[in-house]
Amino acid sequence: MSAQAPVLTVDGLTVRYGRGEGSLRAVHDVSFAIGPGEAYGLIGESGSGKSTIAFAVVNHIRGGRAEGGRILLGDRDLLQLPRAELEKVRGRQVAMVYQDPHSALNPAIAVGEQIAEAIRQHQGANRREAAARAVELLGRVHLPEPGHIARRYPHQLSGGQQQRVVIAMALACKPDLLIMDEPTTGLDVTTEAVILDLIAELRRSLGVAILFISHNLGVVARVCDRVGVLYAGELMEQGATADILRRPRNPYTRGLLNAIPRRTDKRQRLVSLPGGLPDLSQAITGCVFAPRCALARDRCRDEAPALARLEGGHLSRCHFPTETEALPVAAPQRAGDDAVPDGSGAPVLRLDGLRKTFTQSGGVWPFAQRRVSAAVDSVSLEIGAGETLAIVGESGSGKSTLAKCVVGLLAPSEGHVELDGGRIGLTAQSRARGVRRALQIVFQNPEASLNPSHRVEEILARPLRLYDLCAAAEIAPRVSELLAAVKLGERFIDRYPRQLSGGEKQRVCIARAFAASPRLVVCDEPTSALDISVQAALLNELIDLQRQHGTSYLFISHDLGVVRYISNRVAVMYLGRVVETGPTEEVFAPPHHPYTEALLSALPTIEDEPERARIRLEGTMPDPANPPRGCPFHTRCPRKLGAICETEAPPEQHLSANHTLHCHIAPADLARMQAR
Amino acid sequence: MSALILRRVALLGLILLAVSLLTFAIVNVLPGNVAHAILGETATAEEIRAVEQRLGLDRPLVERYLGWVGAMLRGDFGTSLAFNQPVAPVLLARLWNSAILAALVLAVAVPLSLAVGVACAVFQGSLLDRALSAFAVVAFALPEFVIGLALILAFSIWWPILPGSSLIGPGENPLAQPEALVLPITVLVLHQLAHLSQITRASMIGVLDSNYVRTAELKGLPRLTVIVRHALRNALLPTVAEVGMHFGYVLGGLVVVETLFSYAGIGQLMVMSVSHRDVPTLQATVLVVAAAYGVGNLLADVVSMRLNPRLRS
Amino acid sequence: MPVAGNGAAPIAARKARSGWARVVRSLLGGAFPVGVLLLLAFGPSVAPGAPTTFDPANILQEPSLAFLFGTDEFGRDVFSRVLWGARPTLFLALACAGLGVLLGAPTGLAAGYFGGRIDEMLMRTMDVLMSFPALILAMLIVVMLGASTINVILAIGVVFWPRSARLIRSVTQDIARREFVDAARARGEPVVYILGREILPNIIGILIVDFTLRVAAAILLTASLSYLGIGVKPPTPAWGLMVKEGQQFLQIAPWLVIFPCLAIAVVSIGTVLTGDRLRRAIAIPDGRGR
Repeated sequence: MSAQAPVLTVDGLTVRYGRGEGSLRAVHDVSFAIGPGEAYGLIGESGSGKSTIAFAVVNHIRGGRAEGGRILLGDRDLLQLPRAELEKVRGRQVAMVYQDPHSALNPAIAVGEQIAEAIRQHQGANRREAAARAVELLGRVHLPEPGHIARRYPHQLSGGQQQRVVIAMALACKPDLLIMDEPTTGLDVTTEAVILDLIAELRRSLGVAILFISHNLGVVARVCDRVGVLYAGELMEQGATADILRRPRNPYTRGLLNAIPRRTDKRQRLVSLPGGLPDLSQAITGCVFAPRCALARDRCRDEAPALARLEGGHLSRCHFPTETEALPVAAPQRAGDDAVPDGSGAPVLRLDGLRKTFTQSGGVWPFAQRRVSAAVDSVSLEIGAGETLAIVGESGSGKSTLAKCVVGLLAPSEGHVELDGGRIGLTAQSRARGVRRALQIVFQNPEASLNPSHRVEEILARPLRLYDLCAAAEIAPRVSELLAAVKLGERFIDRYPRQLSGGEKQRVCIARAFAASPRLVVCDEPTSALDISVQAALLNELIDLQRQHGTSYLFISHDLGVVRYISNRVAVMYLGRVVETGPTEEVFAPPHHPYTEALLSALPTIEDEPERARIRLEGTMPDPANPPRGCPFHTRCPRKLGAICETEAPPEQHLSANHTLHCHIAPADLARMQAR
Repeated sequence: MSALILRRVALLGLILLAVSLLTFAIVNVLPGNVAHAILGETATAEEIRAVEQRLGLDRPLVERYLGWVGAMLRGDFGTSLAFNQPVAPVLLARLWNSAILAALVLAVAVPLSLAVGVACAVFQGSLLDRALSAFAVVAFALPEFVIGLALILAFSIWWPILPGSSLIGPGENPLAQPEALVLPITVLVLHQLAHLSQITRASMIGVLDSNYVRTAELKGLPRLTVIVRHALRNALLPTVAEVGMHFGYVLGGLVVVETLFSYAGIGQLMVMSVSHRDVPTLQATVLVVAAAYGVGNLLADVVSMRLNPRLRS
Repeated sequence: MPVAGNGAAPIAARKARSGWARVVRSLLGGAFPVGVLLLLAFGPSVAPGAPTTFDPANILQEPSLAFLFGTDEFGRDVFSRVLWGARPTLFLALACAGLGVLLGAPTGLAAGYFGGRIDEMLMRTMDVLMSFPALILAMLIVVMLGASTINVILAIGVVFWPRSARLIRSVTQDIARREFVDAARARGEPVVYILGREILPNIIGILIVDFTLRVAAAILLTASLSYLGIGVKPPTPAWGLMVKEGQQFLQIAPWLVIFPCLAIAVVSIGTVLTGDRLRRAIAIPDGRGR
């Protein structure tokens, strides 16, 4: 830690939402300090209070209030400042960047002006000076043609460009402290990497202190010097980033780290944290984490632990910090056969030359030329029995459209789908009952996947009745069986979805899919809306169910860590096309397609891996209504050969029996380029 | 943007066509017979036949429709049965009176509603907000004639400071007697204020809660700048669209208020033509009002397009 | 009055009460509907006299103990007429609102769920109906069909049709976008099941609120129509009609106008408030704004 006086000192902060009974204590007695030029990370799952702290630092808590503590910026307590003084501090000394840049920018004001007004307000610049400074700042965050961008409105910019604008706005008055609350959440992994690089660069050149808040350990690891881990509104552990990641001294941190899927064997279970967040509207005695802690004993339940000081400035809120290291890093291996299906048997599902186009009206007049765009283009894939095929790609790559074509929610415009060797109808309506039963789907958003007016019993019994899977008398026992299979007890039977947590809802969705005894389940980002610890438990269950029933998965995800853990084979999609497909470990190791290389390079990771080549993708995915000629990736490809990429479609190259990629570069050359 | 406006104008043309068809259909195709409506239920078959012949009701429907629309386009709105003279001049004189009334109502109600709505949103939950919200419920739930009679009782009978009826004839300049306009305008303004202010309030509350307003506050901008520059402008969008829709209430309100205050506008004309069973006048008046409504909506759309950068580019 | 709690509302408390319990509570919470029901059931029987009895000895009497609300120019007891007027006024409003929602809900459901051409066709038709100011369209239809209770119901039902349809359409679109509807389609559920079991239960609350607010609007419209002399016919003690007839005596017998006006005001405001309470009760349970 720096010896200089800290830029920000948070001292004993306690924040409560609401009043009286039922009010929530979102943050409890949190203290930390950030030195000049330092990047301090706050990590936590949903409900940990991390965003509340971010807004408390600028004294802007909506619907809540700070009950105690001080927020010292230099030597002034922001919680005590009158409004007029606060206005002088905000934007000038502390600036903030938060999640979802789209909603953070005013839709009715040009972005340059949104930056310039802060400059006029705080630095007394006149209109012309401020506008010029705004353009300069836009250039500073590497936006192309900043003078042009300044006159644009937020809706005309991509997500990554919007976040750059927000960062430029935050930097406008050269603040001492920058608060970043999940600044890359919701952005594609490739955009995230570029924004994180930008943050690192600005930090080096401007020496601004950063309070960086995220749920993603990999992202925090990339940006921060020191990290604080929050749970249920309390600071559980704090220390240098490397220490926290390598030698966590708090059981909660350990649990979080264990829950991250790593390059481990699928036979190895992930360690998940049992239970959920404590009810913050109730008074808590003892350690907040005790109910979920493997080390918890009577003392933990009776007496709240203080922050224990360990060597090297490391702090841990635990009665037994040294015992943490004895906790298992991974759960026991799965029992049963170790055979990993290699997809060599007859495929369960075969997609042949699938293409799905959408037409948009071309303008305001009824007879304007319509624009046709292909969301999915000539996709041919096979999935074997018991196999997991993962589809990865940025948003807009067509992965979800493909998923919808498989279950018949969208009718492909060309090509066909085969189940167990027989062609099946293109829409769910045109498919035989047995086919619809065999293909099930689990959606991304558990909140919207269950009908809020149906009870769990009704939700799970419906497929049984619809597909005549069992006699009326057997429905009730079967429903209980299904619930048990996803680790939910009998007591859930009468609940409505609103009475379930996110993880529980997703379990019901999985149980509903398995109620149909399907041959294949399409999992469309099934865990991306959930916290890491919940995700681990869900992945475990998905694998268990697969092993029990021999079900195949078409697993769609943008999270390469999850994909690497769960899948046997991977297909990488870009602009509606599969650019590479092969066994997971082969795709993840070079040589691979330049796009795969860029995706992997962008992935924030906490593993001890040698530094990968830094490949960054600039720009955005081209408009699918107007795709580039030749190779679809040539507009952004860092390994582009030359004219041939722009004119000719890349050939299919085979690296091994079932590893193919589409690229003009010979595999041997790719291997050489991508060798570390 | 200009293409969008052109398209919107073209759409208005289509809507007017549909409106004329529907008006014609209601008058001529619905089971009630036009001649019956004119003569009343005691009419004999001969009388009915005579009227049908005089109005050309014995011709085929399509021919009658085309003839009616064609004449309207040439400015011939038919002949009034009650006044025994062409409808057009009668209608035009009264249209002017109504337009003045409507314009004054909007000129008062819209800025007032915006101010009240914004004040309620900014001081959400305060005594002011609650009182105004309660007032809005009451004012919106009451028919215009109830508000109007209450005002007449209060200000022209019990405390006689304002005329209880305008007695402005067709062709007279209503602005010549401003005191006669006060009560009619107040009635309509109260009604509009009730709803528009609540819409402004709701949309303003939504905007004040948005992330971009938070961004503006965290930039350290003064509260007034945040409210005026960042919030109000975005909150105006739904309000303006609503003003267009509400123009319909103003027009409906005119019918009641003009009758209540004996103000010679198209609303009163409509009621008179109903009681005199003057079908040609009624038909023409309804069409003119629907056209005015269409134009009002169009103007609101154009304004909201101007305000919305998504549509401007 | 302001709705408390954004995302931070106490979860435990929210879990405890189901959506329907809230609806019922809020309905019962307002004494208003109970009062109206009592008025409808017993109004005429507690009325001191028949609404149409002429009493030449007591014309234009001021309100007194004998004639609570005074008498009109024919000596009819205004209090009795107001009590008797409750039934026609409210039944008429309920019927108008019912017809409007009955026409609007299926239209909106179909337009919202099927989308595409069906949506275009239905909604453009609704646009044409919407392009008349409400009161004026109702007036035109009643005049041409002939003044009668049935025709007033028809006319106002048609006026409400597009307004209901628009609301139900936007709610349906919102629900139909959610994944549970996709899940049902992927399972291969018939359209009837999806509309009836997956979508309808989620919009029923909004339908109820819409109906309540339409009742309030119908009270306004029917009162205005009868005030203009276009609605139900004279001997019926409709409140709007009483105001119209009493207006000529405004100077000498203001009670002829004041009491029916008050009756309209109480019922109309009460209905609007009930609708508001319902809307608040229903808007929250789902836990998601828009």
